[in-house]
Amino acid sequence: MALHESLPVRPPAPSRLQAAERSLLLVSSVFLAVNFLALAIIRNSSQPDHWLHLIVWGLCAFVGYRSLKRWLPGHDPFIFPIAMFLTGWGLLAIDRLAPAFAERQTLWLVISTATLLLVACLPHALRWLRMYRYSLLLIGLLLLIGTIILGRNPSGLSGAPQLWLGVGPLHFQPSEALKIILVAFLASYLAEQYPAMRAEELSSGRGRLFFSPRIFGPVLLMWGICIVILIWQRDLGTAILFFMVFLILLYIASGSTILLLSGMALIVIAGFAGYQLFNVVQLRIDIWMNPWPEADGRAYQIVQSLLAFAAGGIFGQGVGQGAPTFIPVVHSDFIFAALGEEWGLLGILTLIVCLAVLITRGLRIAVIQQSQPFRALLSIGLSMLIAVQSLMIMAGVLKLIPLTGVTLPFVSYGGSSLVMTFIMAGLLLRLSASEGSPS
Amino acid sequence: MTLTREINRLLIATLVAFGIVALAASYWAIVGPDTLLQRADNPRLIMAEAAIRRGIIQDRNERLLADTLIGPNGQVERYYPQPEVSSLVGYSSLRYGVGGAEAMFNTILRGDDLSRGFFSELVDSLLHRPQRGSDIRLTLDLTVQQIAVQAFEDQAGAAVVLAVPSGEVLSLVSLPTFNPNTLDDEWEQLIASAEEPFFNRALQGSYQPGGMLATPLMVAAMLTGESITDPIPNATNPIRIDDLELTCALRLPRLELPLRDAYAFGCPRPFAQVAERIGSQVLEETLARFHFNAPVTIEGFAARPEDQTLSDITIDDATLVESALGQGQLTVTPLQMAVMAAAIVNDGNAPRPYTLIATRAPDAETWQPVVTTRSTIPFTTEGTARQLQDLMRNAVANGAALNAARPEIDIGGHAALAYSGDETQSWFIGFATLPGKRGIAVAVVLENRDDPGLAADIGGTLLEAAHQTLRALPQQSS
Repeated sequence: MALHESLPVRPPAPSRLQAAERSLLLVSSVFLAVNFLALAIIRNSSQPDHWLHLIVWGLCAFVGYRSLKRWLPGHDPFIFPIAMFLTGWGLLAIDRLAPAFAERQTLWLVISTATLLLVACLPHALRWLRMYRYSLLLIGLLLLIGTIILGRNPSGLSGAPQLWLGVGPLHFQPSEALKIILVAFLASYLAEQYPAMRAEELSSGRGRLFFSPRIFGPVLLMWGICIVILIWQRDLGTAILFFMVFLILLYIASGSTILLLSGMALIVIAGFAGYQLFNVVQLRIDIWMNPWPEADGRAYQIVQSLLAFAAGGIFGQGVGQGAPTFIPVVHSDFIFAALGEEWGLLGILTLIVCLAVLITRGLRIAVIQQSQPFRALLSIGLSMLIAVQSLMIMAGVLKLIPLTGVTLPFVSYGGSSLVMTFIMAGLLLRLSASEGSPS
Repeated sequence: MTLTREINRLLIATLVAFGIVALAASYWAIVGPDTLLQRADNPRLIMAEAAIRRGIIQDRNERLLADTLIGPNGQVERYYPQPEVSSLVGYSSLRYGVGGAEAMFNTILRGDDLSRGFFSELVDSLLHRPQRGSDIRLTLDLTVQQIAVQAFEDQAGAAVVLAVPSGEVLSLVSLPTFNPNTLDDEWEQLIASAEEPFFNRALQGSYQPGGMLATPLMVAAMLTGESITDPIPNATNPIRIDDLELTCALRLPRLELPLRDAYAFGCPRPFAQVAERIGSQVLEETLARFHFNAPVTIEGFAARPEDQTLSDITIDDATLVESALGQGQLTVTPLQMAVMAAAIVNDGNAPRPYTLIATRAPDAETWQPVVTTRSTIPFTTEGTARQLQDLMRNAVANGAALNAARPEIDIGGHAALAYSGDETQSWFIGFATLPGKRGIAVAVVLENRDDPGLAADIGGTLLEAAHQTLRALPQQSS
């Protein structure tokens, strides 16, 4: 079954696209309005600042919708509504779980929407990404080195990972920006190498493929970056995310399944090595294998997370009526569990379907754009960044895989994460609208 | 050369991964409620427990004994406006559980016994309404209870006041006790305290009966045809049991007294002689008729942990005298003594003591009376009971129980001493009568206090207070 058979590749008329986008945004705003109202009733407060979040969200959605309609005709009608829906839901959840953080997140939403529109509507964004890839990579690596040297944690705890760069009260996580830069770099690099790689595969056979510098070079670079992130920053999640997305892009470009499988094997081997070498890895794996004996100690968070899903059941407890705040720092990595408790399995399935639709739309763009390898690979890379990160945290919170500290895209609290995710959505929108035009 | 094959595979793999996550979420959401949520460390269980709105507790005159305060965020606090009722009402603490009436009627107060139909329960659960329990009204009289606690001052001991013929517990005092409002803060000290404030002396205290056994001995003497009016020489002389010297309840010169006055003054020597005359067999039968083998308890309240009742011990010739004088192995509870007094004032048949008058379901307007038929407990014949009443009136008029007398109230009583180890206990049992064959029975014990007069005084005060409460009422219905 080929993708272009199951999904209509030829886009419908622009007016129908806009109608779909508008309907989706309206449904989202109704969902959010009902839930904010329910939250206000539960809190028994008529304070206007809770409604502020909804109003700001509505303005962002409206301005975004109008601007995209005007400046980016023919864009994908699902990406922006899903991004807004998930972000609004996250805003609601943050307001419910950690009201002190909600205002800052609302501010980040404004910044993110502006950035998305900028990226989506600027005519040369894609070309710049491609042209200045080495400069961008250099900046990215410098930021990474800067974090290693100057990094800190906004919470000020000495033991916490120092993943942020800060100026005064503003904090920024460079590894978030590095995600996009690396994907753009790889997409552009592989787009150039891709005909040669495919040809080499045909001419020279699989045996020599691994030793080709075309493959060897980027593998070594990525591996190095991941190791640096893992060792110096103890950021297991980001390291795995980078490597997975890189492997997927390499697989798409080369078409070699062996390459993909050996890459996966490398991750498993790295896992074993990490278990021996790093306490943090050992801890995560031990807790994943059997959290129950340490339910009140090291495994408290994951056990409370599973309890939240159980407490939510199928229909959920209702917004503000569950007890997900027993999970430490629930508004960040574990927001998925909070949604499970208050919106139940139905809410969780809705969230998963939204993400799946978003990824499917992203990959659909790649199919449409496959005549231009850079665009196709960039769409795939951006989609996979969102997909792999979502799957990692969702599966981790559900005890399917060891926990890796990454955020749930769009939903979790976190400014840099939200801005970068919106930039990805903006790039995907841009890619979806520029069918056939030269890059 | 296209990417379609790879992208298709990628899409399928991604969707499968999302599907697996969805399945895992479904597993925990569907299986979890019956397994995970039952874990003892599930904080939601404690939250639900803490949110339960227990019913209030009232005294017999609708005065509030225990209240449920609801804070601005729905947090629930149990509040006791009258902490002096703790001996009967007990406590309810999230951390330390329940005690007393709070424990006895826990199911009612929590609302576990209510079934409100499928739809109301569904609505309550959808709206996360906390579980609510029924209100209860106890037989306790707050005024009598407060007067009792005041009368004891700092004296350790216990008192029980029963209404006759209903068997309502009007007051139940065990001192020292605890303040249920500050229980959570003071728990550690209370538990460690040598005064054992959680030990309910009225219901669980195992006291030497001492001279209290003179009443059944009196019955035995009367039934064996002994004269109670013939003077007995040296009746006031002390009597020695091992190292213990037993004296009259009042200090008296060497006198000859008839048995009825020996009873009134709490003199042990003539009763030792009665015991020797009737022998261990008859003594045991007499005590058994007074239910010393199976003492009456209040159902549901903590009873004595190890029953040192008559059925556990044997009385032979060697232990005859010490047993008859209440200095043997047999011990009694204050409740048991109050029931004995109730049997006497009720012409030989004791009512079964109880504490619950009525319940009121949440939101209900009206109280549902708790109707239970309770058989009386036969102690002795009407004639003997009448004779005992007169003996006890005599003890108040002329004897050691003089302090129990109150103007214009028909009061009878019996004060006596008991010894355990180095300590002396002062006992008083008594009754007051009311029109319509009604009455009040009381038992008082003072720990480590050689003052039967004080015990009689407290007993008189309690009888007077209860008399005032009950006098106003018409014929008791129960």
